[in-house]
Amino acid sequence: MNMFSSLMLASLSVLTLPIMSSILNTHKNSTYPHHVKNIISYAFITSLVPTMMFIHSGQETIISNWHWMTIQTLKLSLSFKLDYFSMIFVPVALFVTWSIMEFSLWYMHSDPYITRFFKYLLTFLITMMILVTANNLFQLFIGWEGVGIMSFLLIGWWYGRTDANTAALQAILYNRIGDIGFIMAMAWFLFNTNTWDLQQIFMLDPNLTNLPLLGLLLAATGKSAQFGLHPWLPSAMEGPTPVSALLHSSTMVVAGVFLLIRFHPLMENNKTIQSLTLCLGAITTLFTAICALTQNDIKKIIAFSTSSQLGLMIVTIGINQPYLAFLHICTHAFFKAMLFMCSGSIIHSLNDEQDIRKMGGLFNAMPFTTTSLIIGSLALTGMPFLTGFYSKDLIIETANTSYTNAWALLMTLIATSLTAVYSTRIIFFALLGQPRFLPLTTINENNPFLINSIKRLLIGSIFAGFFISNNIYPTTIPEMTMPIYMKLTALTVTILGFTLALELSLITHNLKLEHPTNMFKFSNLLGYYPTIMHRLPPLANLSMSQKSASLLLDSIWLENILPKSISQFQMKTSILISTQKGQIKLYFLSFLITLTLSMLLFNLHE
Amino acid sequence: MLKIIIPTIMLMPLTWLSKKNMIWINTTTYSLLISLISLSLLNQPNNNSLNFSLMFFSDPLSAPLLVLTTWLLPLMLMASQHHLSKEPLIRKKLYITMLAMLQTFLIMTFTATELISFYILFEATLVPTLIIITRWGNQTERLNAGLYFLFYTLVGSLPLLVALISIQNLTGSLNFLLIQYWNQALPDSWSNIFLWLACMMAFMVKMPLYGLHLWLPKAHVEAPIAGSMVLAAILLKLGGYGMLRITMMLNPQTNFMAYPFLMLSLWGMIMTSSICLRQTDLKSLIAYSSVSHMALVIVAVLIQTPWSYMGATALMIAHGLTSSMLFCLANSNYERTHSRTMILARGLQTLLPLMAAWWLLASLTNLALPPSINLIGELFVVMSSFSWSNITIILMGANITITALYSLYMLITTQRGKYTHHINSIKPSFTRENALMALHMTPLLLLSLNPKIILGFTY
Repeated sequence: MNMFSSLMLASLSVLTLPIMSSILNTHKNSTYPHHVKNIISYAFITSLVPTMMFIHSGQETIISNWHWMTIQTLKLSLSFKLDYFSMIFVPVALFVTWSIMEFSLWYMHSDPYITRFFKYLLTFLITMMILVTANNLFQLFIGWEGVGIMSFLLIGWWYGRTDANTAALQAILYNRIGDIGFIMAMAWFLFNTNTWDLQQIFMLDPNLTNLPLLGLLLAATGKSAQFGLHPWLPSAMEGPTPVSALLHSSTMVVAGVFLLIRFHPLMENNKTIQSLTLCLGAITTLFTAICALTQNDIKKIIAFSTSSQLGLMIVTIGINQPYLAFLHICTHAFFKAMLFMCSGSIIHSLNDEQDIRKMGGLFNAMPFTTTSLIIGSLALTGMPFLTGFYSKDLIIETANTSYTNAWALLMTLIATSLTAVYSTRIIFFALLGQPRFLPLTTINENNPFLINSIKRLLIGSIFAGFFISNNIYPTTIPEMTMPIYMKLTALTVTILGFTLALELSLITHNLKLEHPTNMFKFSNLLGYYPTIMHRLPPLANLSMSQKSASLLLDSIWLENILPKSISQFQMKTSILISTQKGQIKLYFLSFLITLTLSMLLFNLHE
Repeated sequence: MLKIIIPTIMLMPLTWLSKKNMIWINTTTYSLLISLISLSLLNQPNNNSLNFSLMFFSDPLSAPLLVLTTWLLPLMLMASQHHLSKEPLIRKKLYITMLAMLQTFLIMTFTATELISFYILFEATLVPTLIIITRWGNQTERLNAGLYFLFYTLVGSLPLLVALISIQNLTGSLNFLLIQYWNQALPDSWSNIFLWLACMMAFMVKMPLYGLHLWLPKAHVEAPIAGSMVLAAILLKLGGYGMLRITMMLNPQTNFMAYPFLMLSLWGMIMTSSICLRQTDLKSLIAYSSVSHMALVIVAVLIQTPWSYMGATALMIAHGLTSSMLFCLANSNYERTHSRTMILARGLQTLLPLMAAWWLLASLTNLALPPSINLIGELFVVMSSFSWSNITIILMGANITITALYSLYMLITTQRGKYTHHINSIKPSFTRENALMALHMTPLLLLSLNPKIILGFTY
């Protein structure tokens, strides 16, 4: 049993090897990406052993080593928490990353800086592992900020493009707003429990946890792109597709959900925060699903669907089912990463064409990608016995049978139905029908890197849900009985969505809509959110800083009050008081007069 | 302490006696050796301070600042090489002498035992700085900047002299070591309020407090690179050091006198970082970012808890290295594009990839990425201000966000995007420059492994 922690540490530390070797320059540049990919696969295989041990015995471990510093009464040391969440998530993340690395070998092969790209991805993976396994808030914060910065770097990968830079900055801005919440929670826990160690916080179980939990909710909102702080996620699609697949679907964006899952021991007793979480999640899942409906960029649609799924996870936390939310994180990682990779395959084959209106008929040209895309979409919609089913269906069922806010439930159900709608839309426009792309594009998907990486995730998308939910020990009490209409709700709304979408898409072929309706505009312009929020507040803020902070206060008031007024005052008084007026003649005359007078006086004296 | 002071004084004859081609090498090596010697001061074996003589001492608060001072001299020398390359030899020697003189004064300021000698040396540092700014600055505005620099600091600190004399009369001693044990509360009277103001204003101006900060952007922008570096890295920290030392004897006045200054700092922190968002001038941006970071230090010192003192000390060291590095980077841009305007230097990542890596690291430390010591400093300050008043988290949070924004705005504007055609034929970055950045970055990274040596006397 003792090998448990050492194997886990081995699997984590093996990831740092390529970084070390890049510092020492012991590798050849051309093989470095392969090296990274292999290392990650080794790490995955190594991490399977402790995970199986964990599944077998269910023993949770905390490793504390390397004492960093003790500040007054707060001890900070390097500490890993190997519990249910980290033990299951680490292999999943490593598996997905392994596939994405292999995919990037194909996708980024012509990039001159592919080595650097792999280093970035690897660094990101390491920070993500730090985040997942951290046992104290400070270490968690290291991972938390690390993934944020790596996302900045990776979104801005094509740094010559203005859009990429803007999107990167936008991601950092929204994440930083979330970080305020995180820092506040850290401060609160330090102030009230005098510790940052998770198990100590939970053991002390402080009262009145509204404030820190609100902070954590804000942090999760920022990182997981919940409503209000959501626009960065679709913008982040400016990054290369492997980045979207790794960061913005399967790992980084679930960090916020993961944080809330970590803190569920505090949250499960706080009804206020739970309802807030529920409502936030429900709004997000519906809103982003609506936005996804009318997008034409294939990556944007998948990004919005990610956002919608993240909303679903938050809903699950809101109905006090963190384990279910976690299960959805794990299953979601497989098919969402695969969907992105399929879209990457299409985009790459069509010479960087991302508009689904210019695709079509790929069913014949790219059979493998098509198969994977369809299976991924079906898994996403929760088709029975595919991966998504095991978590999504359970979530909907649990939400159905819980005493929850009916509006939130309704919104979630509509969003579930809309999932099917936009998935159909992708399939319909990109894969079916007649080709609408340029005739001379060379479509070739027969690259082992592409095929193998997608195939691995494809198998994952079909079986992973079954494997995971079959093997983990029961964590939540499943609903034993429920009316048949409740059992079938999730399936029904999904099928409803499919049929509706198919009908509507067929209509677009035959009947052209004259004017875009207001509903369409709302959805297509992302609820007017970017139009309003990305214009007014930045404009107000920037003009405030220019006009009032810089010009009015610094250049006018502060200059005038102290230095200028003093010098003015001195100048005025010196002019006023001074007898020196520059009248040389007069001065000489007076000099002469005094001289003569004194001479005369002296002479007269004698 | 003489083993550091005397070698530093001997830097001056070394400069004048060196051969023409050896002046940079000799002085840089020699000052680097001095800084290596001073590293031993970081080892503070007991809780008391290390008393070397009646004149000089060092304790966990002054030791990191002292080491930072000695560490920065070789870096300043390395950074100045290029812009002095066209100057005649004698002026180069004069310049190095000025830097060495400044270094001597600074070391003595940080180690002075007596408040009055601290005061005298504090004022003495103005002279070489003023000469550096007004003699070697790039534009004619340097004279105005020098004027602002001198007058703000002098006007702020002259009342301190009066206050010190009065304290000397009151207590009979101005010894730092004795003051710690002089636990008598100052009586609550109007004159003591003025005493508090007189004591604090000198350092508030130096820090600088928002509202009294006008001299800083001007001086930073106009100063030559070494001047900017030493201003940002050390001279501002003199203010923080002085405040940390002198608040000890100003109780209980600080408890209520701190409020307006806390408010002003919290407000000014947001204002100055907002100004950074709209800067087009690279050096001015970094200067305003210094004001914003120093506002955090003022807040921390005025809150007066062990955590906040630790945060203030850590933040001072971290900011010293970071801002100095940013100025070096700005200077390396300036030497290539001959302009401080950021938009003229865009897209440099394509041409100078390694320099872009340094830019990235510097920006990341400036926005306090964990686990850098900048974060430790800021986090401690945020923690202590949160425990002082929960509402401050809003302002602190806003400041954290804006700091991240302008740091990355600076990074993106200078490094990202398409490069412009007028920078087609720029020089590649020199080993000297890369070494310079590495010497800034290494301490930052190493300190984050063991931050407790810069956490000051409350650790």
